[in-house]
Amino acid sequence: MGARDIRIDAVERRFARAGQAPLLALDRVSLDLPAGSFTALIGPSGCGKSTLLRLIAGLDAPDGGAVMVGGAAPRVLQREGRLGIAFQDAALLPWRTVTGNVRLPLDVTGHRDRESLARIADLVALVGLAGFEQALPAQLSGGMRQRVAIARALVTEPDVLLLDEPFGALDQILRRTMNAELQRIWMRRATTTLLVTHGIDEALFLADRVVVMHGPPGRIATIVDVPFARPRPLTLFADPAFRALEDEVAAALYGRVPGSAA
Amino acid sequence: MTATTRRERRGTIAGLILLLLAWEAAGQGGWVAGGALPAPSQIALRAWLDRGDYPAHILGTLRTATAGFVVGSLLAFVLGVAYTRWPRLQRAMSGVDVTIFAMPAIAIVPILIIALPGDAPRVVLSALSVYYPAMVAVVLGLRQADPRLLDLVRVHGGGAVAALRWVRLRGGLPTLLSGLRVAAPAAVLGSLLAEFGSGSSAGLGTYLIGSLGRADPARLWGIGLAATALSALAYLAVGLVAARFAGDTVPASTPVGTAAGQAAGEVRGWVARSMPLLAFLLPFALWEAGTWALRLTDVSEIVFRDPAGVLAHLIWDEGAARNRGDIAAALAQTLPFALAGVALGLAVAFALAIVSLLWPPLGATLLPLSLVTQSMPLVALTPLVVLIFGRDTGGILAITVSVTFFPAFVTIAQGLALVPPGLRDLISAWGGGRGIWLRRVAIPWATPYLCAALRLAAPRALLGVMIAEWLATGTGLGNLLNEARGRMDYGTIWSVAVVSVSVAVALHTAAASLERRVLRRFAFAS
Repeated sequence: MGARDIRIDAVERRFARAGQAPLLALDRVSLDLPAGSFTALIGPSGCGKSTLLRLIAGLDAPDGGAVMVGGAAPRVLQREGRLGIAFQDAALLPWRTVTGNVRLPLDVTGHRDRESLARIADLVALVGLAGFEQALPAQLSGGMRQRVAIARALVTEPDVLLLDEPFGALDQILRRTMNAELQRIWMRRATTTLLVTHGIDEALFLADRVVVMHGPPGRIATIVDVPFARPRPLTLFADPAFRALEDEVAAALYGRVPGSAA
Repeated sequence: MTATTRRERRGTIAGLILLLLAWEAAGQGGWVAGGALPAPSQIALRAWLDRGDYPAHILGTLRTATAGFVVGSLLAFVLGVAYTRWPRLQRAMSGVDVTIFAMPAIAIVPILIIALPGDAPRVVLSALSVYYPAMVAVVLGLRQADPRLLDLVRVHGGGAVAALRWVRLRGGLPTLLSGLRVAAPAAVLGSLLAEFGSGSSAGLGTYLIGSLGRADPARLWGIGLAATALSALAYLAVGLVAARFAGDTVPASTPVGTAAGQAAGEVRGWVARSMPLLAFLLPFALWEAGTWALRLTDVSEIVFRDPAGVLAHLIWDEGAARNRGDIAAALAQTLPFALAGVALGLAVAFALAIVSLLWPPLGATLLPLSLVTQSMPLVALTPLVVLIFGRDTGGILAITVSVTFFPAFVTIAQGLALVPPGLRDLISAWGGGRGIWLRRVAIPWATPYLCAALRLAAPRALLGVMIAEWLATGTGLGNLLNEARGRMDYGTIWSVAVVSVSVAVALHTAAASLERRVLRRFAFAS
């Protein structure tokens, strides 16, 4: 099975609030993510980006509209074990080693065949943790834990990869390194990927398209296409064309950016 | 950090040695209650002379307490897992759970002895004493799982069973084990209390009751200390297992809590409205079912009362008015002591917890002592307390205050330890002194913990009073129960049990409702 497309069609989501009118988190949001594409979702806190990601993951259900992954409900993808997910916080099992944590999705899906288990060591090496296979999460730094979480998200070779601010808790230097690593890993096996982030540079460095959201109520303001060819070098962050695109996204985010000619 | 704890420990040890020396002097001099407090050396000598008696009694209590611990923990585990999976079940069972927690154990001892053969009453009472703290720990342990890990399991197609298997069980293990550690002394206490009523088979409770008639304080103290040592050992043994797992599930990073807000099993409509009624009726339904089950055994039917049978005894049977009068009179003797004991115990605990904030050495001495008492079968030591404080008002009050003070002090002191230190600096920076700090910060902060302590202490106080009445004073509900047992007055045995359990549940419910109101007022809960 390969990557699958994601179709979000006029999705609405309301949250009940005690003593107040319900909060409209998503207001008829429509978005298509082609199979094998990398999309970044950016917007201010509370604009509904994480809500949208949870709907695609099948962790939440829309009040109106539909979310389809590869032509089926997200639940189908869950049952088939074809989803990968990583959060802002690594959320590792404290009692399991690095290898054990990466293995968790295989335990849950029951896909403990030799081929899948063999993948664990490769992935641990791929995220640069060779030599730390038997370490417990408490013995790792924040960046290392996050890399375990990325390896865990990839261990099932998912058709859809959902990343909810996976590097949000890391410092800027480590973030850049992790961005480059994620690109390297992603290019080995193109998976339909949705990255929720607060970082404009991160979004532009990794994605084919940057979706700018406003809210509440959450809605899509602009979609910015990113033209740079992969693999994108870290020097791209200093490229004038990259900078111009950053300004464009910032303008879409804040309305306008002082000092920018655009 | 290490230096302070070491100094504190040294202080505690020095305090204990001083206490022991003072005890020896007081015992040798016969200063307390005309020799009712023997010196440690006299107790040790008596125990040496009695050494032939101890092994059988200790083994007897150990055997039934262990069986009760295993049964109670298993029940707590199964129900705790079920409650986590189906929160509605927990709501429906809340009446049964609160009844098991709040009931004065001694009140159902005669019934257990009537209904069950051999060691079974001791095992059952021990299991019932273990069940509630263990169940609460299981539910707490399983529910505190990291919500993102639960999301992760769902994203990979795992259901409730997978979440339990891969995340909840292992993650909840330390909480579960610390709950079992608290429950282990309760198992010993349950067995001891049932032995107070059975009086035949070997056990420290039997030994204590059998030795009451002999005016030999040294032997009573020896038995009391043996019982205390037994429950302390139970606490330490489970604690050793718990220590093996403690800390290894502490999250390496703090959860952000995305899905934590999703209310587990939120119920609306008629189901929600009928829940309290169901919770109220379920204990009675189980009681009715239990009497039906006993009809299938070869135990004589005249000894049982179902709910209708107890109502008959109190309302429409011949002599119901007299039965009612007896129980009302006994309750009028018991209840004031229980309430006064709670009020006194909590007031002293509250005051001392506040004072230890201003003068830390007091807290450094009292807190370890209070923690130690949590592994002691305090209510089972009633005969010793009565020996010192007398068979009347003083003795009963001493029991109730001692069973309420220590846990209340622990609850309030630990709550006050959570006051952010910055608040005190803030008050000082504005020129406020100790008075302002106490009035504006410490006392309001401690109030919710005082309410929690009240909820925990009220049922315990009733148990303390009833045991003192049963064993020593010859008044109140405890005595009525003991007398009814002697003359095989089954109607009264059942009625006293039902009335005292109801009173305990009512006290607990009132305290819980007060606690909820205070928590809302202090914005601890939304």
